[in-house]
Amino acid sequence: MGVTKKYWKGIEELKQTPDFIQQRDHEFPYPSSLASFLSDEKLAEASTGRRDFLKFLGFSVAAATLVACEAPVTKAVPYVVKPEQVTPGVATWYASTYYDGISYASILVKTREARPIFIKGNADFGFTRGGTNPQIIASVLGLYDSDRLNGVRKKGSDANILVSEADKAVVTALSKAKDVVVLTPTVISPSIENALENLTLKYSVNGQSAVKVVQYDPISYSAIRKANALNFGEGRIPSYDFSKAKTVVSVGADFLSTWLLANEYAVQYGSTRNPDGAWMSKHFQFESIMSITGSNADYRAQAKPSEYVGILNYLLKGLVGEGSGSSSLSKEATATADAAIKALKKAKGESLVVCGSNDLGEQLLVNAINQQLGAYGVTIDLNNEVRLFQGNDEEVNALFSRIISGKPPEVLINLGTNPVYNSPNGVSLKKGLERIGLVVSTARYADETSSSASYIVPDHHALEGWCDYRPKEDHYAVAQPTIRPLGDTYSSLESLLVWAGKAKRGGKDSSVAYDTISAGRLDFANLVHNSCETLNITPFIPAFTEKRLNSQTKSGDWEVVFYQKTGIRDGAMPSNPWLQELPDPISKVTWDNYITMNPGQMEEMGYATTFDQETGLNMATVNVNGQSLTLPVYPQPGQAANTIGIALGYGRGSSGEAIGRAAYQTKEYGGMDLDANGLKKPIGSNAFTCLTVAGSQILYSAPVSIQKAEGEYPIAATQIHHTVMGRESIVKETVLGEYLSKDKETYNPAHKLQRLNEHGHHEEAAIEEFDLWNAHPVEKVGHRWGMTVDLSSCIGCGSCLVACQAENNVPVVGKDEVRRGREMHWLRIDRYYASGVESTVGEKKEDGTFGYTEAEIAADNPAVVHMPLMCHHCNHAPCETVCPVAATTHSNEGLNQMTYNRCIGTRYCANNCPYKVRRFNWFNYPSYKKFTEINPAQDDLGRMVLNPDVTVRTRGVMEKCSFCVQRIQSVKLEAKKASRTVQDGDLKTACSEACPTQAITVGDWNDNSSNVYKSAEDKRSYQALEEVGIKPNVWYKVKVRNEG
Amino acid sequence: MQREAVIREPLILGHKTYHDVTEDVCKPIEDKAPRMWYVLFTIALVIGLYGVGSICYLLGTGIGVWGLNKTIGWAWDITNFVWWVGIGHAGTLISAVLLLFRQKWRMAINRSAEAMTIFAVFMAGTFPLIHMGRLWVGYWVLPLPNHFGSLWVNFNSPLLWDVFAISTYLSVSLVFWYIGLIPDFATIRDRAKKPVAKRMYSILSFGWSGKAKHWNRFELVSLVLAGLATPLVFSVHSIVSFDFATSIVPGWHTTIFPPYFVAGAVFSGFAMVQTLLLVMRKAMKLEAYIHTKHVEYMNIVIMVTGSIVGTAYITELFISWYSGVEYEAYAFLNRATGPYWWAYWSMMTCNVISPQLMWIRKLRRSLLFTFFISIIVNIGMWFERYVIIVTSIHRDYIPAAWSMHYPSHIDIAVYIGTIGIFFTFFLLFARYFPVLALNEVKTILKGSGQSYKESPDYHKNH
Repeated sequence: MGVTKKYWKGIEELKQTPDFIQQRDHEFPYPSSLASFLSDEKLAEASTGRRDFLKFLGFSVAAATLVACEAPVTKAVPYVVKPEQVTPGVATWYASTYYDGISYASILVKTREARPIFIKGNADFGFTRGGTNPQIIASVLGLYDSDRLNGVRKKGSDANILVSEADKAVVTALSKAKDVVVLTPTVISPSIENALENLTLKYSVNGQSAVKVVQYDPISYSAIRKANALNFGEGRIPSYDFSKAKTVVSVGADFLSTWLLANEYAVQYGSTRNPDGAWMSKHFQFESIMSITGSNADYRAQAKPSEYVGILNYLLKGLVGEGSGSSSLSKEATATADAAIKALKKAKGESLVVCGSNDLGEQLLVNAINQQLGAYGVTIDLNNEVRLFQGNDEEVNALFSRIISGKPPEVLINLGTNPVYNSPNGVSLKKGLERIGLVVSTARYADETSSSASYIVPDHHALEGWCDYRPKEDHYAVAQPTIRPLGDTYSSLESLLVWAGKAKRGGKDSSVAYDTISAGRLDFANLVHNSCETLNITPFIPAFTEKRLNSQTKSGDWEVVFYQKTGIRDGAMPSNPWLQELPDPISKVTWDNYITMNPGQMEEMGYATTFDQETGLNMATVNVNGQSLTLPVYPQPGQAANTIGIALGYGRGSSGEAIGRAAYQTKEYGGMDLDANGLKKPIGSNAFTCLTVAGSQILYSAPVSIQKAEGEYPIAATQIHHTVMGRESIVKETVLGEYLSKDKETYNPAHKLQRLNEHGHHEEAAIEEFDLWNAHPVEKVGHRWGMTVDLSSCIGCGSCLVACQAENNVPVVGKDEVRRGREMHWLRIDRYYASGVESTVGEKKEDGTFGYTEAEIAADNPAVVHMPLMCHHCNHAPCETVCPVAATTHSNEGLNQMTYNRCIGTRYCANNCPYKVRRFNWFNYPSYKKFTEINPAQDDLGRMVLNPDVTVRTRGVMEKCSFCVQRIQSVKLEAKKASRTVQDGDLKTACSEACPTQAITVGDWNDNSSNVYKSAEDKRSYQALEEVGIKPNVWYKVKVRNEG
Repeated sequence: MQREAVIREPLILGHKTYHDVTEDVCKPIEDKAPRMWYVLFTIALVIGLYGVGSICYLLGTGIGVWGLNKTIGWAWDITNFVWWVGIGHAGTLISAVLLLFRQKWRMAINRSAEAMTIFAVFMAGTFPLIHMGRLWVGYWVLPLPNHFGSLWVNFNSPLLWDVFAISTYLSVSLVFWYIGLIPDFATIRDRAKKPVAKRMYSILSFGWSGKAKHWNRFELVSLVLAGLATPLVFSVHSIVSFDFATSIVPGWHTTIFPPYFVAGAVFSGFAMVQTLLLVMRKAMKLEAYIHTKHVEYMNIVIMVTGSIVGTAYITELFISWYSGVEYEAYAFLNRATGPYWWAYWSMMTCNVISPQLMWIRKLRRSLLFTFFISIIVNIGMWFERYVIIVTSIHRDYIPAAWSMHYPSHIDIAVYIGTIGIFFTFFLLFARYFPVLALNEVKTILKGSGQSYKESPDYHKNH
């Protein structure tokens, strides 16, 4: 018998009281409301029906609308498992190495939250000693270029294929082929050399290797190697040491910016330009175009390229003591050459002569001169070979002739070279390449050459993979990845090893390259930490064998020089908008290619010699060697008469190749400019097509004919007025003799103002005595950040500008906006030419000829001054008083601060800024279509390069240099954590860090032992526009030329 | 009742009775608008709407749609602002200063001059607003309590002074103008037959009944407001000039600016009054009230203020040389001989030479010539502001930053647009408001009217 226990909720249930039953059956105590409400017959007649209906309607519409107003979803993925070495908000620096075929540097890469965002030179390790150039600094942006290839491509398809498919095809082709060529930029990587050797060994026919490696440099220096082969028996590029050269003579070599290891030389040169040092180098320059190096020379003479040989001969004769001989040189060049001979003789054994020409005869002469000077072993080290630029013009030309003439190799492996673009016969080469059975390329873009390759197995960006380098005989360096590969890319080292059968693909996290480089090295961690090490080398004892050859440089009525621009170089980074918008340090033109010509001659020939926002320049067609280019003609003071200059590196992507958006011309109101065929228009014209081969050398000058062409072309330059109009308080300069012998009043006089004394007479008084305002209480209280800029050291290279752009998220605005005078650079480098009525920049001639009309026109061969200008953080800042909403204020550390979110954008501050360093956000740069459509720095991927410590400014607010306030805060924080005060040297702004010549010093002016205080108190220091009474925190130091 | 000497030209021509005055002023309001009014109104409205559209585009896209650049932060925007403020000077000067000086001839012109002032100040006020990069936070220029802690406006900034100066001037002018309108609205109200119009004018006239007490208060308030407005006439443009004078830009930093700007403002304001009234008197058949004598008086003001402006130009030039300041000297040399020489010489011709022609009696009494010169003066005064603003900053201290200014089509559209809006307002005013202070004019009918001066009655009393 089952017994079920019963439980009651209460006594009421047990007793089953009527109340309980009532409650149990009727859960709702009152009549069911809904049913009765709906069944109410009066409902339809209810008087509130309409109102309620409207209320419900209103509520529903409002609610629906509010629901639709959901904020955009921004995905932020937190670290679920925090990587040990990544702390959000704290930067991690990696020592690495940069090599792109034409530049080499030891670098430090800053990463934030695992994103590389900034590159600076490594001052502690490596022979480049912190020297970089604009391309190296800007290369970080290329990492985030969304137009970079992301995946393996097969010819004729835009879809990605599996890498194994490509590998299979390559290996099959290689094993069948009898004639394989690997075309590569100069390989300085021992691992890649090794991989190439493996490849050579693996594929052989009848015991003979089927694989031939050809190294190809778009910019050739093979004449130096050949000359040394003839003179010393080995074709080496020696190490030059400008830091030991008391006299430097350069004949057409732009060694501070683009010639060989210019970033190394700039550091060395900078160390010799201190007028307070034991000695200051004396620099002579003979050149046709106005180069950065020429603009820094103490003596500069203009010469046609065909006259270089004459100059070198003259120098040699003068040094040997054979008398000057009959000189075909101009008076000016002869005088400069005589002065150079004198200086070279004086500094015998401590001097250096270099020549930028790729003509064998000329390089042999240079060697003879240097031998005569005893430069070998002192300023020239043949022992320590520079392993860059190993390309041999003869070999390359032979290969290209084969390809063009229809006898190409069966397989071509292209390790990222682009000869279709940067060799003289690109067009025919392209046709020839298409006839090759299999071309496999490791290019990062489907560029001119690789777009027709059978397969592209794209290489990593340099910051994504491991590599090693041996740039000099005694130097070994490694590059380490700073980010996991963003796309589906493959280290070319790995690709070579895979094709040689020595390795297997390792996917995204492949360790093939790492394993290869680190193999057998127990101290690899230490090597990676330092990024490089010094190797022992077997000494090479050169014996000089005299040898002369005739120069192959042809002379003509007009001659053209093909030069490199510091930002564009050989055109390998066309889609880097930072570089495109970097004003050329000399012409200040952005985004364009042009013909430089002497303004005096332009006037005679009927070309416009001035231009501005709406007035463009005239076009001209030049004919070189059967090729013609039509470009605008830019008036370049200092350009030798009857010469023109055209920059290489432009005209990329003439068939509309996918090499990045910034490589193409854009329309005035946004969007790509298309030509009649619907192809994107390249920027400028490709001058590589005009290069000539003389003997076996590629020459960078040639006779030319020039005709005026139809049309006017708008030019976007950041500076359209080129002289300082005799204004002495902006730029000050002197010559070394005067600086050393005279007192401060002679070369750096303090500005005096007139006032009336108590007797009503005029008297002069120092500027400090005129003051309307109370000083800001920052002097001797806490920090007062200051900066000095040494005009003597500044070479105008533009590195600081790019570094500032990278550090401070400065937007790129494009050609049209630069033309309208709206570039956003926080730091600019003003470049002034002396006019005919100034003895030097800013110094009126004493003969009373000074007039403003004449002062506007630069002299024919003008002295040049580069003057970096950033916010001066004035203690009596004129911008601060005029802001109606106090958006720009003074900090208690002497900074002029800009509060973006308080700014209402009246632009009054910019008008009242005497230095004109304030920049206004005319548009919403991050999202307005004019910028986003064309600017790879403004898309989602490009934005990853943004420095998270710096606000991205919105439309309608003012911005300007902040002295890298984020870094100031960070060093203060570091000091606080370490319970100490900020030490001198803790703070480095982006610009001071990037400067290869240490021209910029920053620090705490209140700290009397700081470098910046000492520098500011130096007898050479002055403040630009001091007499305006704004009390800036930036000091300039008088430029000293080693003249006279 | 005040009487004038008989040799003085009468201020009201013809044999007008009090009723005639009422009729003459009220008729155009009560009648159907002439076809010409519709034509003009449509043109003005279309131009005005084009301006509004351009302003919307500007606000939507950014200040970059104007032709400004890193060196030239202000150009047409502030030029137009100062130009309109200057034009807005005549009204209050006429009604306030001339009231205090008991110049009875002002009565015929003060109403429309004041209306012009208010509309011009509206237009002027537009520019500082739309020239801001972020108009939506423009209210930060007001010293409002806020949640940002101790964040306050910067009382050192002349732009802030502008905010106060312009808003005070606008409100006082508006009140002054409206007070004067009340009795005239009442007159229209009393005559109106259509109920809507009657109701509207009844609201506008604030229940004015014409009692002696009302008139007494009216006179007193007018006098008090005139007293208040008079200093404002001088302060507004002085403060506008401080925008430039307190800066450190060579060519802006000039102590002469306040009086020079005020004179220039009166100069341009009177010219604009001439332009408008010469057309209006014809169109609305007010020749009897606004006639050659009024025009001549105004021409004399133009001549005097024009001479002050001319003197100021010459003084500036002299001081720039005498000061020995390199930048100042160059700024003025650059104005006259630099790339903007044409603007400078346009200004000199229009503002210095043309008013001097008014010394010739025949010319200053010629209506056609006056109309021509009034246009020239306003062109000249626009150029004056353009010269001061643009040619000073386009080449200031650092030659590397020197630049040129080219207006974009939006610059031009916004400027032309404000002229359109201004005329839209003015035409509405002419259509619906009494364009003559009819009740005030009646007070001088017996003293200065032609019929009274010629009547035997008049001679008997003298």
